[in-house]
Amino acid sequence: MTGNAKIHTRAGALGFSLWKQAPRQYFAIDGGSGAHLLAALAERSPYLKQVASPRHANVLLIIEPISAKLVPAVLEVAKALARPAHALLLGEPRAGLDGFSGGELVRVEELVPGARRISEASVETVLDTVLQPEQWPELAVVDHAEPEQTISLPSKQEQELATELIVLSLGPIQPFTAGPLRLFLICDGEQVLSVQVESGYAYRGIDKAMMQADWQDCLTLASHLDPLAPIAGQLAYVRAIEQLQQWQPPTQVVTLREAALALERTQNVLWWLVRFTKIVADEQFLDRSYRLATAFADYTVQLWQHLPVTWILPQRSLPTPAVVKDTAASSQFRQIADNIQALRTSLERNRFLGLRIRGIGELTGERLKEAGVSGPVLQGSEHGSGDVQSRLVARLQSAADDVHEIAKTLAAQASVPIQEASWEVPAGEATVRVKGPRGDIGLHLVSSGTEKPSHIEWRRPSAAVLGLLPELLVGQKLADAEVIVASLDLGMAEADG
Amino acid sequence: MNSIVVSLLVLLGVLIGAYCIAVLQHLVLLGPQRIGTALLLPLADTLLLLRQENLLPRKADTFLFRSAPFIALSVVALTSLVLPLGPGLIGFDPSIGLFYFLVLLSPFVVSMMNAGWSQNSKEGLFSTFRAAAYLVSYEVPIGFAAIGPVMAAQSLSTEQIVNSQANLWYVIWQPLGLAIYVLAALVVTFRHPFDSALSGSELEGGVFSEYSGPRLLLFRFALDALFLMVMGMGVVLFFGGWQGPLLPGPVWMVLKTFLLAALVLWGGRFLPTLRHDQILSLSWKILLPASLLNITLVGILTLIIPGGSR
Repeated sequence: MTGNAKIHTRAGALGFSLWKQAPRQYFAIDGGSGAHLLAALAERSPYLKQVASPRHANVLLIIEPISAKLVPAVLEVAKALARPAHALLLGEPRAGLDGFSGGELVRVEELVPGARRISEASVETVLDTVLQPEQWPELAVVDHAEPEQTISLPSKQEQELATELIVLSLGPIQPFTAGPLRLFLICDGEQVLSVQVESGYAYRGIDKAMMQADWQDCLTLASHLDPLAPIAGQLAYVRAIEQLQQWQPPTQVVTLREAALALERTQNVLWWLVRFTKIVADEQFLDRSYRLATAFADYTVQLWQHLPVTWILPQRSLPTPAVVKDTAASSQFRQIADNIQALRTSLERNRFLGLRIRGIGELTGERLKEAGVSGPVLQGSEHGSGDVQSRLVARLQSAADDVHEIAKTLAAQASVPIQEASWEVPAGEATVRVKGPRGDIGLHLVSSGTEKPSHIEWRRPSAAVLGLLPELLVGQKLADAEVIVASLDLGMAEADG
Repeated sequence: MNSIVVSLLVLLGVLIGAYCIAVLQHLVLLGPQRIGTALLLPLADTLLLLRQENLLPRKADTFLFRSAPFIALSVVALTSLVLPLGPGLIGFDPSIGLFYFLVLLSPFVVSMMNAGWSQNSKEGLFSTFRAAAYLVSYEVPIGFAAIGPVMAAQSLSTEQIVNSQANLWYVIWQPLGLAIYVLAALVVTFRHPFDSALSGSELEGGVFSEYSGPRLLLFRFALDALFLMVMGMGVVLFFGGWQGPLLPGPVWMVLKTFLLAALVLWGGRFLPTLRHDQILSLSWKILLPASLLNITLVGILTLIIPGGSR
């Protein structure tokens, strides 16, 4: 549902039948894994509209897992909804973490009585369910008296013409990051004076859980590190094990793994672009990016005979060709790469959009390297001015390059001898890096030759950027703050771990 | 009795007009192939909001919060009175009709400010200040843009302004005035891309963040109706009002108004939501000098163009 491969859309399915439907306005709470699903859902049907205030909504979408820290915010939103309203829970409460004691995750049904659950859902299933909310009971009144958490104002120098400072809390439920994050902005009018970042709302304790699981179970947990990029986490883990096993995969396997990773990166970039253009409210680019993202998602779903998560395993060679033998696929991907390039060019040249994205949120390459930032954020600073626009251009350029590479791989795929996965891990240490959608995902793995890893440490690209937010936002306009944060494409589940 | 019937008819006309603007918005967004959906969606939205609970925020200024949507709708109904649909087909035609229309735009923005202020929330407060800043900034350019046609027609009567365009629409020789008017009108009616007081996820829906149900519906109707009225006044000022061949005057007036509205809504699709300081800069640094230039040009052209002054 929330992973890349499961975003599947059905073009033209909504027609006359929707005339009988009542429109729904929804407010979404994303526990950290639903950014792609929400982006795909937001533009899917005119009868389903996302709203900025829970007061305007009659449907509450909650995408699990929900951490204990996020519960007060969930309750506050559930209470703020105007009745009659319905709530829909998407995903599993523990999302693959069953049996492992990682972070403290909660069962939302107990907090939001009357909510209905869809465990495994495509965009269509969610759409069908949401547009027929009479099928499940109305949301009961939620009792919640916890006062809103805030911070105290700093003392201000007495001046003759002084304005009053105000603390504005953005989040934890907000649309500009993939998952929950709270920003306390101390503003002097519309000017941001200082920022406090509060993260940890999407914490699941992946590291802790992996230390308790055996080598095979750790694979699932690794793929949950970033629910929006499961292949990157899984591949990092598989590579680390293979390094410990001192096994070098054949070139064909490496190429296919890289292709799967590139597909995931591109899909992340395209869905991020949909969210970004929605935030700056540019209908023209929103429309174009949405069409590109859905087309790409559809091609990807049709491409694999076996989903990459089933064959990216240590020492595993493919049982049958992983990719559907389709001569059209390669040209389709080339077409998409060209469309991404065209979109990049028009975004770069569009002066109106430039008014909102040029010259704000600038970061130098040196500062980013110092903070350990990698990926498109760093590329934006190295190849451009380091502002929001350059990050946008860098992302689209890397996506276009990735899709070109995929097209080449598809044109020249070859079969390799079948080999089963090996889970025997000798003692030793391994350090690997994988190019994820938000930067390099690093993994340091220590094995003492037993059934479980003795030490695991992830290097999370979004966590590195998180620390830069205060210096990035100070001095900016309030309206720019969300655009700047959105341009960083922070995956909060990945950042919180 | 007669005036009550007229008032009810005006209100009905305003509501139907607002509905048509909502349809037009959906049509621009969805494309002409989904006209059925565009026609039905506003009705479905209306029913949805009518069913919804009318929430009142904790510690809100109850009177201001409850009255704001009614003030907004009343103001729009009052502005519609001076909009001529055809020769003699006007609610009332005072000699200062245009002035009356422009003055009434302020109470509308004030109703929006009341809505934001009364919510007892920081988001509402921010939106109120934004709305107030836009009001102060855009009353001047919209007024100055309207002075051009007034100078040419030598009258503030809306009927007189239409009649004076019998030979030549003012848009032909006052295109700058029209551009200024449309831009300022978009700000005053809180339309995209100047809707940062209403939208923006940083303010959770802005002025309306705490409104729900029928009160929210009233506000949405008022906003759409005001947009219609302002576009209608644009047609009166620059496109010869009801004048046109073959078809009856009111049909021309309605057609021109919706065409102008559609063009403006369509154009908005190509722009992102502008930041508040960019909106204010546009007013003070570009539109205000441009409107002064427009007045100067119109003054000169009025003397040059045969029949320029009536």
